[in-house]
Amino acid sequence: MIREITKADLGWLDDPSVFGVNRVPAHSDHTFWADEEEAYTFRDKSLFESSLVGDWNFIYSVNASERPADFYSWDYTDRAVLDKFDTIEVPGHIEIAGYDKFHYINTCYPWEGHIFRRPLDRDGNAVLTGSFAKADYNPVGSYVKVFDIPEKMNGTDFRIRFEGVEQAYYVWLNGTFIGYSEDSFTPHEFLVTDVIKEKGNVLAVEVHKRSTAAFLEDQDFFRFFGIFRPVKLIATPKVHVEDLDIRTVLNEDNASGSISVRLKLKGFKEAGRISMSVTGPGEKTVLEASSLIGDLKTEDSGEGEFTYITLPEHKLDEVRPWSFIPEPKGMPPLYYIRISVFDKEDKCVELVPYAVGFRRIEIKDNVVYLNGKRLRICGVNRHEWDPERGRAIGFMDMAKDMDLIRKNNINAVRTCHYPDRIEWYGYCDLYGIYMMAETNMETHGSWMKFGAIDPSWNVPGNSQVWQEAVLDRAKSNYEWFKNHTSIIFWSLGNESFAGEAIVEMNRFFKSKNDGRLVHYEGVSMNREGYEDRISDVESRMYAKPHEIEEYLDNDPKKPFILCEYMHCMGNSLGGFNSYMKLFDKYESFVGGFIWDFKDQAIYVTDEITGKRVLRYGGDFDDRPADNEFSQNGIVFADRTEKPGIQEVRYYYGKYNS
Amino acid sequence: MANTILKLTYGDVHLGIRGEGFEYLFSYFIGGPVSLVKDGMEWLYKVPRPAFWRALTDNDRGNFFHFKSGMWLAADNYIIPRGTKIFIDNEEIALPTGPENNRYTGEETAGEVKITYVLETITQPSTQVEVTYTVVSDGRIRVNVTFHGKKGLPELPVFGLRFVMPTPAKGFTYEGLSGETYPDRMDGGVHGTYEVEGLPMSAYLTPQECGMHMETDWVRICRDTSLSNVKGSDVTSYLTVEKDDKPFAFTALPYTPSEVESADHAECLPPGHRTVLTVCGAVRGVGGMDSWGADVEEQYHVSAEEDITFSFWLK
Repeated sequence: MIREITKADLGWLDDPSVFGVNRVPAHSDHTFWADEEEAYTFRDKSLFESSLVGDWNFIYSVNASERPADFYSWDYTDRAVLDKFDTIEVPGHIEIAGYDKFHYINTCYPWEGHIFRRPLDRDGNAVLTGSFAKADYNPVGSYVKVFDIPEKMNGTDFRIRFEGVEQAYYVWLNGTFIGYSEDSFTPHEFLVTDVIKEKGNVLAVEVHKRSTAAFLEDQDFFRFFGIFRPVKLIATPKVHVEDLDIRTVLNEDNASGSISVRLKLKGFKEAGRISMSVTGPGEKTVLEASSLIGDLKTEDSGEGEFTYITLPEHKLDEVRPWSFIPEPKGMPPLYYIRISVFDKEDKCVELVPYAVGFRRIEIKDNVVYLNGKRLRICGVNRHEWDPERGRAIGFMDMAKDMDLIRKNNINAVRTCHYPDRIEWYGYCDLYGIYMMAETNMETHGSWMKFGAIDPSWNVPGNSQVWQEAVLDRAKSNYEWFKNHTSIIFWSLGNESFAGEAIVEMNRFFKSKNDGRLVHYEGVSMNREGYEDRISDVESRMYAKPHEIEEYLDNDPKKPFILCEYMHCMGNSLGGFNSYMKLFDKYESFVGGFIWDFKDQAIYVTDEITGKRVLRYGGDFDDRPADNEFSQNGIVFADRTEKPGIQEVRYYYGKYNS
Repeated sequence: MANTILKLTYGDVHLGIRGEGFEYLFSYFIGGPVSLVKDGMEWLYKVPRPAFWRALTDNDRGNFFHFKSGMWLAADNYIIPRGTKIFIDNEEIALPTGPENNRYTGEETAGEVKITYVLETITQPSTQVEVTYTVVSDGRIRVNVTFHGKKGLPELPVFGLRFVMPTPAKGFTYEGLSGETYPDRMDGGVHGTYEVEGLPMSAYLTPQECGMHMETDWVRICRDTSLSNVKGSDVTSYLTVEKDDKPFAFTALPYTPSEVESADHAECLPPGHRTVLTVCGAVRGVGGMDSWGADVEEQYHVSAEEDITFSFWLK
């Protein structure tokens, strides 16, 4: 049985307990190739992968009842059917394509003042029946892509991967219901081997603007929907590394270490041998090993065709530590692991490359150390943003952001407040940028009302139902990105208050024993009963220097970090030195992440002057709106540097190593 | 020096002071000079006025600075001239309006002329500012600006002297700190000589205070257009502000604070027609620990209960 649920249900939009249907369990973000030759020849393009981006057929509806409910079953060889559709670019936001209004709002839920919604009754039960599925305004994008399997594609089993769809979506292939998911900023995969054809496949995706997931995605940003990150057809070979868990250890001497790898393998019975090589700086091979499958420790995954395989731990006498390197072109040493899986005939069936570093994170006496040296976070919060394409950013956007980050002596980024595009994590590994990898959760409007705290209907709070939804987000964040050396902190989310559900998220990350620190700021809003159970660090946002001193002078329980500070709205960034001085005064001051990297504004053509200009909330007749409150970058929306950045460059240059 | 004697004209309304390559007209009545001509180029569009306001920053709005100090916005726009004193070679003379000036011939000269204007603010309580222009024999002008602090007056965002020039500058060169700096954001500024093209406004999404340069030794404004209708009037000309006893701060922008503050977007600003040069003796920090209440740190406030005095040279 390839999928448990065979029929889509519109009611899932209103049910917080349904957040993923028929999804492939989250797994590591590794790429895979046919063999060494393919990996070398094609570099960025495995023949196991085929992109489905580009022009798609599209119908916009203002609500679910007006949508073409059976569009997935239409005959797309009929010209008249295709004529019903517009064309839309994927990836992209439906608002930027001009179908629905731009809307920028900070803490309030986007329906504020328009629709009354409560996520729970007094007993913690969901009470949202019809609130999203039957709303007068809850737009739907019906997408269709007709595609063939590329002739050169490798592999025997197929899946479709969506790397980012906001905010709830249903998928059909060739008329068969494939799956459903929420969690806009996390990749999801659905198996399609049984329904895919060589030619003329009809992929139908129905994207709903809001669902109960909206309660968990109240981030301070422009509110969009649509398929805004790449979509891929992915094939897997008969024996396939479904998941990869690499653990590197840097010993106390900072000169030796060890590496261990655990695989989740599909087609275990057909595998003959697994080899692993590790290449260090200067293309030096530091490890080559091979084991017959029969000699390896295996464990049934309980998921049918998957088996866990633990490769032997290897000690490495000589490794160079991974960390931020301050000089302009400094890059830390990375070690390139290649895992090759061979079949019974000893033919390579799959090659998995992965780059890792060796580093050691510790807290001793309330001081955070990296590789035995006190860690100073000179960081910035980074939303993914482009003034033309919104959060549908591309490779060049990431590369240019990274250039600016390095040029300005920034050594850390927080992925506020959701997982970023997969490639960003690899960039941070490569350039030695410390990451605070945040889970996609913000429920600001559920507990703060115009600055006043009112958690009377806070989600996830202590609700069992919401707990499952947020735990799933934590798991996805962990599983996809767990192999990235750059991640120093797992962050549970942003501004969601504190309750038992968040305790469980904390427990989940800690249970992985990966040495990383767990971060969450919201517990500072609700300490009693939670302070000792959530977050390894005392995190605050916008604490004044004297408040930090007050904490650190009074028998602190944890190291202190600022997940947000120096709100760079407009002409700002004054008084930065008062924070920087704390690095000298307190070993337990870990530093922080400036709010934030880039202004969020959208290019439009000015109605009066005809000039291309940047607009903000409230400029699109969007109400209620938080206007220019999204202009907090150290760079402008077009990535030119704001004047205040020279202060950042100066001080971060002093303290970043 | 080519000419070390100032030639004077005791007009009915203005004192004319001229020498080789310059001619200045100082009003007896409206609180300052109405004309500063150098090498044929007019440098004043309006009488220089004390600057009491900056276009609010997002942080000013966030910490309600304008609720506390908003009266300085009005004071910045309107000021009452309360008196003029003239000293010729350090001797005060009776204000030479008619008929007092009938005793002059048109042939008078001096080595140094000092004119002091007393200006009264429209704040509650009101206070006074004295601006003294001392023209020395080679045509340089030392400008001294004194603000009399008064108990009960709210904090100032800035205190300076604002020159509105007839046309937009081609650019300016200054020796001071790199980039846009404020008292609480200048550690990253690197001292040097910098050339700036035009009168750029920092591209904050909502136009606001911008373009401050702290710790400046000198700034030279370059203009190559004038308002004169005479053919061939547009010659390249320079006016330099130089520090006196200590460095100063300045902004050189196309707009006054009131103009900047009226716009929600850069494209809502009118086309820039002037050069607005504000030479500052005191500047409030910009702050930014948060944008919803955090005040600028105490040491970067500008009290209006204490005197502020600064001076610089025009040449």
